Amino acid sequence: MRGDFSLPAVALALAACLGCKSAYFEPRPKEAILHKARTGDGWEIRLVQYRAHGEPRGRPVLLCHGISANDRNMDLDKDHSMARWFASRGRDAWTVSLRGTGESDRINPEKGRQGGYDFDTLWREDLPEAIAYVREQSGGGTIDYVGHSMGGMLAYAYLSQGGGGLNAVATLGSPTRLDWGGMFEPLLEKLAEVAVGKESVVPMALSSQISVPLQGELPAGPVQLLLYNPRNVGKETWKRLVAIGTDDISGGVTLQIIGMVRSGRFGSADGRLDYRKDLAKVRTPVLVVAGKLDRLAIAPAVKDAYRALGGPKEWLLVSEANGAQADYGHMDLIVGDRAASEVWPKVEDFFERHEN
Amino acid sequence: MKAAVLALLLPALAQAALAEEGVFRKRVVAADGTALALYRYVPSGGGRGKPAVLLVPELGFGREAYDLSGSGLARFLQANGREVYLAELRGQGKSGAPTGWRLSQLVSLDLPAVAAAIRAERPGPLDLLAHGYSGTLALAASEVELRGAVRRVVALSTPVFPEVPSSHAESLFASGGKLSGLGAGPPAARTFELLFALGGNFPRGRLAELRGTGLSDLGKAASSDLLGWMREGDLELGGGSSVRRRIGRYGRPTLLFLPLGDNFAHPEFASPLREVSAAKVTVRVLSRVELLDEDYSHLSLLHGEDAEDDVFEPALEFLDAPEPASAPSSPAAADGGADAR
Repeated sequence: MRGDFSLPAVALALAACLGCKSAYFEPRPKEAILHKARTGDGWEIRLVQYRAHGEPRGRPVLLCHGISANDRNMDLDKDHSMARWFASRGRDAWTVSLRGTGESDRINPEKGRQGGYDFDTLWREDLPEAIAYVREQSGGGTIDYVGHSMGGMLAYAYLSQGGGGLNAVATLGSPTRLDWGGMFEPLLEKLAEVAVGKESVVPMALSSQISVPLQGELPAGPVQLLLYNPRNVGKETWKRLVAIGTDDISGGVTLQIIGMVRSGRFGSADGRLDYRKDLAKVRTPVLVVAGKLDRLAIAPAVKDAYRALGGPKEWLLVSEANGAQADYGHMDLIVGDRAASEVWPKVEDFFERHEN
Repeated sequence: MKAAVLALLLPALAQAALAEEGVFRKRVVAADGTALALYRYVPSGGGRGKPAVLLVPELGFGREAYDLSGSGLARFLQANGREVYLAELRGQGKSGAPTGWRLSQLVSLDLPAVAAAIRAERPGPLDLLAHGYSGTLALAASEVELRGAVRRVVALSTPVFPEVPSSHAESLFASGGKLSGLGAGPPAARTFELLFALGGNFPRGRLAELRGTGLSDLGKAASSDLLGWMREGDLELGGGSSVRRRIGRYGRPTLLFLPLGDNFAHPEFASPLREVSAAKVTVRVLSRVELLDEDYSHLSLLHGEDAEDDVFEPALEFLDAPEPASAPSSPAAADGGADAR
């Protein structure tokens, strides 16, 4: 009897989901060039190239999304696209979808792609491959890198363990300390313990797509409070990001991040590597950017990385008091209506000042 | 003859009861002769069962930071059975501001004088409630000048790794720190808002009242000290000591409030306390994600619509909590200093 109701419900949900996704779907620009690279452990990851307009005026820049996201975070639509912005500024821009997201390979045990990959896998396998691929396609020189949220954390881990190939790096809203005594931290830990297995996948894409009609409709709703400031991100932009830019999370990644919340450490899952401590050895120039109103990666958590880095390094807090029209939330740094004038030029300027 | 009469009357005048029930003002004289105002709030019943609480206002603010027109944290603590001492250090409120006074004198002269005056009336350990940059100076004093005198600390946005928070702060302190000028005109009001109040929920009229009555100029030397502290990240305190070195030794059990919206003492300036000090520091981030109604600014911490629920109550709860069975010893206790507990 139960099955009689559940089947139509699932069908309805899927239909709604697909409807929402298609309603907000925005194709990539026709000049976007799709690439495939293969990691050392056999996963195919998708990169997208946005060629520099005119004569290249700087190094290629690789843009990496955060957790529960994909490459479309960096190229959402014509008005919200860091990739197209860098291309318009004369740099080849590349986006990447980490494994299990976007059009990159997903878990498929039959094809040898096991679940359970974690944060360490992403910086050890996907990030080096993406960097190597872009370098190879661009003549072999070093490249610049922008990482949002976990995309910046991956760069921290990679650099801290001696990763090379990057000329300069900008991290946007990337924390290295996650234990802040928040009232939801114990709940999050418990939930992960009960509901998330290392081999599982947290189906964020589907659940987000189903929620699209509600997204942005509640003033000061929980998602809004956590992820963006409506003074910077319009409702339609947000719905589009939820519809096409939100993606699944591996159980392994989830558990490793929860472990960081629990312990306050920024290190490998097996406890052997202390990425925060090793950041002192990093000599790649890093611009560390935080949003004043980022309630997910709060400024103290982002500043923790800045303090740990060996340098050269610079700090940028994007806030009304520092000249922005409104304080920046977590996602505003990459899809904010004025990010192209209030944030990204400062990243470009940093890269230009660190050209070797 | 007149001098003799005056001498007889002075003690009475010095500890004059204000026209407010249970509030007394005392004149404390620092070692260099600077007169400081010390307010004492006595709860009904005397409040002798628990340590008194010393409140230290932010630089450029005075008594009004904690007691504005009869309401605020001082009154809250008093109403909840705590005897409260509210100290106006040099340059604040009704205290003296000798020409060329320096921030280091708050640590070396004012806080010891205040602590001695309180100890004379009320022996035993104090709890300390400290706000902003002067709050950090009080933390720095707690292991040396106030050694053994402080039991627990509630730290409200106390920067240990400060930086220049914005160009607005830079301009203000590079031009002599005339905070009283922020009370006049719309451009000054905007600067005041950007520094101290942006995003805060204030009861109607309260911020204007605070801006109109609660601000004091820093003076050129102290303003230069503050800007130097922000630029260098550290402040020399004399005798080879500095705020950072002091904070490294700091060991009092502390509840640290980090208001996400603070644009004067950004939370990232204060958060490293738990890493660089020897203290057991409990952190409380104030943001809307914690189901609060605001992200809290430097002043809404003390004057916000919901500050009583979100700040005062947890602060009191922390101060009132029973001592742990085996509390970690502070550096002062470890090397033979009198442990306040």
